[in-house]
Amino acid sequence: MTKKRETQSFLPLTPAMFHILLALADGEKHGYAILKEVSRRTDDKVRLSAGTLYGNLARLEGAGLIAESDRRPEVVLDDERRRYYLLTEFGRDVAVAEAERMEEALGQARAKKLFRKPKLA
Amino acid sequence: MAKQTLPFSQKLFRALVRVLPFDFRTNYEGEMEGVFREQHREAEERGGLLGALKLWKETIAGIFTTAPREHWQILTSDCGYAFRMMRKNPGFTAVAILTLALGIGANTAIFSVVHSVLLRPLPYPQGQQLIFIRQQETKLGIPDMAFSVKEIEDYRSQNRTLAGLVEYHAMSFTLFGHGDPERVRTGVVSANYFDLFGVQPLLGRTFLPDDDKLGAPPVLLLSYEYWKNNFGSDPGIVGKTFEMNDKVHTVVGVLPPVPQYPNENDVYMATSACPFRSNKMHLEERDMRMMEVFGRLKPGVTVAQANADVSTIAAGLKAAYPKSYPENVGFTSSAAPLREELTREARPTLLLLLAAAAFVLLIACANVANLTLARMAKRERELAVRSALGAGRSRLLRQLLTESFLMAFAGGVLGLLLAYGSLDLLTDFVGRLTPRAREIHIDSGVLLFTLAAALGTSLVFGTLSALFSRANLASSLKEGSTGAGSGYRQNRVRSALIVCQIAFSFMLLIGAGLMIRSLIKMQQVDAGIVPQRVLAMRTMFNWSKYTAAEKTNVVVQKLLDRVKSEPGVLSAAISSRYPFEPEAITGGPESVSFQFQIEGRALEPGQAPPVSTFAAVSPDYFKTLGIPLKGGRLLAETDIDKAPPVAVINEAAKRQFWPNEDPIGKRVSGDAGDHWVTIVGVVGDVREFGLDHPPTAEFYASQAQNAQPSTLIVRTISEPRRMAEALTRAVHDVDPQTAVTHVLTLEQARYESMASPRVTASLLGIFAGLALVIATAGIGGIMALMVSQRVREIGIRIALGARPASILQMVLGQGMLLAVLGVGIGIAGAIALTGLVKSLLFEVPPTDVLTFSGVGLTLLAAAALASYLPARRAAAVDPNVALRAD
Repeated sequence: MTKKRETQSFLPLTPAMFHILLALADGEKHGYAILKEVSRRTDDKVRLSAGTLYGNLARLEGAGLIAESDRRPEVVLDDERRRYYLLTEFGRDVAVAEAERMEEALGQARAKKLFRKPKLA
Repeated sequence: MAKQTLPFSQKLFRALVRVLPFDFRTNYEGEMEGVFREQHREAEERGGLLGALKLWKETIAGIFTTAPREHWQILTSDCGYAFRMMRKNPGFTAVAILTLALGIGANTAIFSVVHSVLLRPLPYPQGQQLIFIRQQETKLGIPDMAFSVKEIEDYRSQNRTLAGLVEYHAMSFTLFGHGDPERVRTGVVSANYFDLFGVQPLLGRTFLPDDDKLGAPPVLLLSYEYWKNNFGSDPGIVGKTFEMNDKVHTVVGVLPPVPQYPNENDVYMATSACPFRSNKMHLEERDMRMMEVFGRLKPGVTVAQANADVSTIAAGLKAAYPKSYPENVGFTSSAAPLREELTREARPTLLLLLAAAAFVLLIACANVANLTLARMAKRERELAVRSALGAGRSRLLRQLLTESFLMAFAGGVLGLLLAYGSLDLLTDFVGRLTPRAREIHIDSGVLLFTLAAALGTSLVFGTLSALFSRANLASSLKEGSTGAGSGYRQNRVRSALIVCQIAFSFMLLIGAGLMIRSLIKMQQVDAGIVPQRVLAMRTMFNWSKYTAAEKTNVVVQKLLDRVKSEPGVLSAAISSRYPFEPEAITGGPESVSFQFQIEGRALEPGQAPPVSTFAAVSPDYFKTLGIPLKGGRLLAETDIDKAPPVAVINEAAKRQFWPNEDPIGKRVSGDAGDHWVTIVGVVGDVREFGLDHPPTAEFYASQAQNAQPSTLIVRTISEPRRMAEALTRAVHDVDPQTAVTHVLTLEQARYESMASPRVTASLLGIFAGLALVIATAGIGGIMALMVSQRVREIGIRIALGARPASILQMVLGQGMLLAVLGVGIGIAGAIALTGLVKSLLFEVPPTDVLTFSGVGLTLLAAAALASYLPARRAAAVDPNVALRAD
């Protein structure tokens, strides 16, 4: 019950946040990988810039939806030390709650036959 | 790997990232750069230059949406933290906010005056084009000799720089047809006066060119206040008629609520309606000067050009009418911006008060910085822990600045309320110095100033405290819990702040002290009269009834006889003015100046003619005011209009014009030898124009030979104010159409004449008092803190045999050292700033030894008292407890 209320307080997520959570759903990733995955999965419709990406990562991390992974890159070709992020249990709950929210909205839209193509006059 | 120079895009990105908060950057900058680099490479590969541009657009947008959000988040968390800290230390918070409120409040109040009076443009369209023109007789020391009708015509037709030129003079007339006969302040103005100022009427119309023509039906304009207060804002007022000066006047309009310069009036009339202005003498005599002149510059013309223009006209007049403008008086004319003219008198006082208020704020800043530093000592461990946990230095600085800004902001709000509350008082005070006082209000400019003052204040004390505490963060974890190690350097800073506070307080106290001293000196001055139990009342006969001197003299004699028969009256006189009369003080001696020639004494070429002041008085004037006779005789009942003209002079006139001979029997003429007046007596000097004005040469002519009765002066047996009603009745018994106004005792008039220095002294005194309290509290605070930090050391000293008396002496000595240093710097500062007060002082040198020593001793005594309590606590330290404490 309390868990539900906690997840609810994050809804609705911004598209950027939701997609970052989705990108981390199948395993930990570093920043650039998240950005690539989001842009590939959405066919470039959701494009994150460096600023929005790390702004969102900071806030998701601060809220405990994601966490920094202990894993460090073994051998790096560039001199940046990349940080890896993973989805926390709570973050997964929030993402699920958001997906459910969207599913419900979608169901209602369907019930209203919103998707029927208008007849051409 | 060899280090490569960064590509341009990376450099640009790095610069862009700097808008993000410091902590965010520390955390993510490297990674962001990495991500951007890869994005950039990819974009170029896939889309070339266009792709790169698109990426830049997204990147810039991304950073500029992220940055405010991040900053805001930090701000809200800092504010929340600051509020918690403030709640945890309610005493500190209250003292700090109150101190700042006093400092900011004083500044806001004074600034609202300075802003409204000195800085804001005149509230008329293109007010900066309005100028004031004056004619001067420089060699006679007459800065403003007014204008005659002839002169106004000349300036109007000859100038090439003005879009318009108007005249003004103030009169007091009796208005009939609206209840009791009423004395109304009347402005007599050119028809285009309000057009020139750009004032549109609220009702009806203003004057038309035809209203100015001689014989035009008289019309009136009512001021907004007069219309509202006396006619209940009657919308049907236009068209109503009243009787004034035996003529029917029709109201043609009502003015909007605009500030009226140079005086406030109840009604306005066109020049043709003024019986004085339209009589033959005024119309034709070049030397009958009574009007003031305003002009509006043509677009693009500067004041300097107009100034040159009017002085050229003056030179032309001098050449054309040598009789009216003799070579030896130094005749010239000049133009000045009207705004400057209206605030000339107020400027030095207001600037002094602004400086004083700024000092109070500086002292408040130093004090709050000190309080903050003291508290910081207690918080050092907390800050050090936060620092160790990863909070960046700038993050801590930001936190501290947020805290100080919140306090300054609270102080600012409170200060604004204080300023708002004091506004009426200030308006009343400034009203004595400038007609712009009624424009004083708190507007967005003042609010901005308050905000800036609060922001500046928080920056000053926040940065001070943050910088000096930051240096010690690292060390404080290692040291003892009292933070003693970092204390030494901090204490030096705190001591320096205390010294500054004392120095500034000293300067303020000197300012206040000098003003108070000069006020006392002024009060001790012998005015030359006995002002107790004397009542003066303006008694204006309906002049249109008393056109001939004989008629006037009859009614004056009747009036004096009637008044003298009133029980409780010792003596009574009638005169054209009296000592300390408010109007005479405002106008100064030049408003009643009298230029004359002495019989048998020719002037050297270029030598200025003698000039004195002039009053027309009835014989008992001297007895009523207690002016002693020094030689010859006083004026007598026999000096009537048929008798040879006589006058009495004062000792100043004797000293100036007949230093080595007896003036009795000498003759002078004010009309180039047409009439000669014989001097019959010499009386004592009177400070007519205020206690700070040394007596000037004065001629008292016989009232019966000069008319001009305007003021009834009565010496009574008991409290004169209680006689006012009976005396007014007596006047109305003689002539019910006589208006009695301005009833004032001479003691009141004398008191009022000192209002401006008194209020300046009180305001400075309040500021200085505030400063003294703040600075003394500061010394007490820092000494207490030092003692509590050094309990261990003091304990050891006592354990090693130091006597309590020597401990007491040590602490007291340290406090006094600060005070002495502060006073020393204060003396230097006060001497450097003497120019600021010099013009406002009366018979007190700006480096008055008595004031300096008195203020110095007061400050030192206050400092001694403030350090004594902590010193006694230090002396009472129990070494056993002190050494066990850690």
